[in-house]
Amino acid sequence: MVTVENLHKRFGDLHVLKGISLKVQKGEVLVIIGPSGSGKSTFLRCLNHLEIPTSGKIMIDGVDLGDRHTNINLVRRSVGMVFQHFNLFPHLTALENIILAPVKVLGMSRSEAEDRGMELLGKVGLADKRDAYPDQLSGGQKQRVAIARALAMKPKLMLFDEPTSALDPEMIGEVLGVMRELAIEGMTMIVVSHEMGFAREVADRVLLLDGGVIVEEGTPSEFFGNPKHERTRAFLSKIL
Amino acid sequence: MTYDVEAVARYLPFLLRGITVTLQFTVLSFVLGSVLGLVFALGRISRNPVLRVPCRAYIDFIRGTPLLAQIYLVHFGFPQMFGYKPVGWVDAVVALTLNSAAYVAEIFRAGIESIERGQMEAARSLGMTYSQAMRYVVLPQAFRRVVPPMGNEFIALLKESSLVSVIGMEDLMMKARMMAGRSFKAFEAYFTIALIYLALTFTFARLLDFLERRIKTNGHG
Ligand SMILES: Nc1ncnc2c1ncn2[C@@H]1O[C@H](COP(=O)(O)OP(=O)(O)O)[C@@H](O)[C@H]1O
Ligand SMILES: [Mg+2]
Repeated sequence: MVTVENLHKRFGDLHVLKGISLKVQKGEVLVIIGPSGSGKSTFLRCLNHLEIPTSGKIMIDGVDLGDRHTNINLVRRSVGMVFQHFNLFPHLTALENIILAPVKVLGMSRSEAEDRGMELLGKVGLADKRDAYPDQLSGGQKQRVAIARALAMKPKLMLFDEPTSALDPEMIGEVLGVMRELAIEGMTMIVVSHEMGFAREVADRVLLLDGGVIVEEGTPSEFFGNPKHERTRAFLSKIL
Repeated sequence: MTYDVEAVARYLPFLLRGITVTLQFTVLSFVLGSVLGLVFALGRISRNPVLRVPCRAYIDFIRGTPLLAQIYLVHFGFPQMFGYKPVGWVDAVVALTLNSAAYVAEIFRAGIESIERGQMEAARSLGMTYSQAMRYVVLPQAFRRVVPPMGNEFIALLKESSLVSVIGMEDLMMKARMMAGRSFKAFEAYFTIALIYLALTFTFARLLDFLERRIKTNGHG
């Protein structure tokens, strides 16, 4: 589903990603952890070209993102992204947030989009919030609407950039619950998160990104139970 | 030194007729200038220098030169240079529109740039093109934020439209000049007209306050 080869990203003199290579299979859940500033967001944002890589190759579902003939807008339709700060559209209601792209981008009829939108709102447990504006929702509710908004495009891959780190502790569970369900349904997911419980339980693979390189990767039991690298042990001891 | 109340009363209906003309010039130029200004704003923030550089040059030129010079240029300069017959009211609208567009462009630019980057990114991440993201996500939010400065621009334009009297338009200002010429009551003429401008700007300022409050109470974002 996702193949990344020797990905580099520089911001001017700042060399943020220093040769990342990885593969994510269809239906796999990859959790990325790493210290702040290590390039986790930059890596995710390269996967839908919100950042243009400096060099390297990214293939998503057989499409080479770096190819001149690739229409990035088409790729983005099938790659959902969930942001740390939700980025809901504040001038639209929850339901309108969800149906905007299906209607304007996919050309879906409004009624069909609304039916699907209500289904998705139900799925994230917010059917009663269809007419609420983002500023009338709690953080956890906002993030669940944001997930529904991304799902409305029927993505094949979902990217989550620290989806719970801006939330009050009591709201983290509701968002992780939705993500867990998605994983069970077979969604391919790349999740940047320091929720170790979630990683242990849901991830197929966990990966430590530090200093712009992949330090260690493995199954959750290997990664947490028997980390091979000193840096992994040091990092884990800090966050656990 | 006497204030001739009787002369003011006699000329008041005459002066008031200038209100329609002044408002016509103001509203028409404001509407056209807003549309054009939005175009310049989008050009000004474009990453394409072919769009950005001329838009920026235009905005800088207009904001760096007096409106009076612009009016003379449109009414006397261009017709002479390109050999056509000037039409006063058209030139007045054109000059005011071109002038207002530059100020509006800067208002819209600031409004667009005040919308967090995450909004554009979220829209793009859903597969929207840049134009779709602008149209459905960024601009609707920016429009709400520019209501106060746009209201101020309207009021400024209302006052500055008095300059079209120099090319013979019979707006409020011209009416005062005519009254002064005919009645030899310069103080009465110009003071009365000043009060009429004040009444107009005051009314629009209150209207704007009301609009802002409404947006605050039932506007999201
Ligand atoms: N648009 C940008 N311009 C310049 N530097 C950036 C930009 N985005 C991120 N960076 C820098 O790249 C580094 C990695 O950032 P980021 O990917 O956000 O890290 P993380 O998500 O792991 O905390 C940081 O030093 C950050 O300041
Ligand atoms: Mg980050």
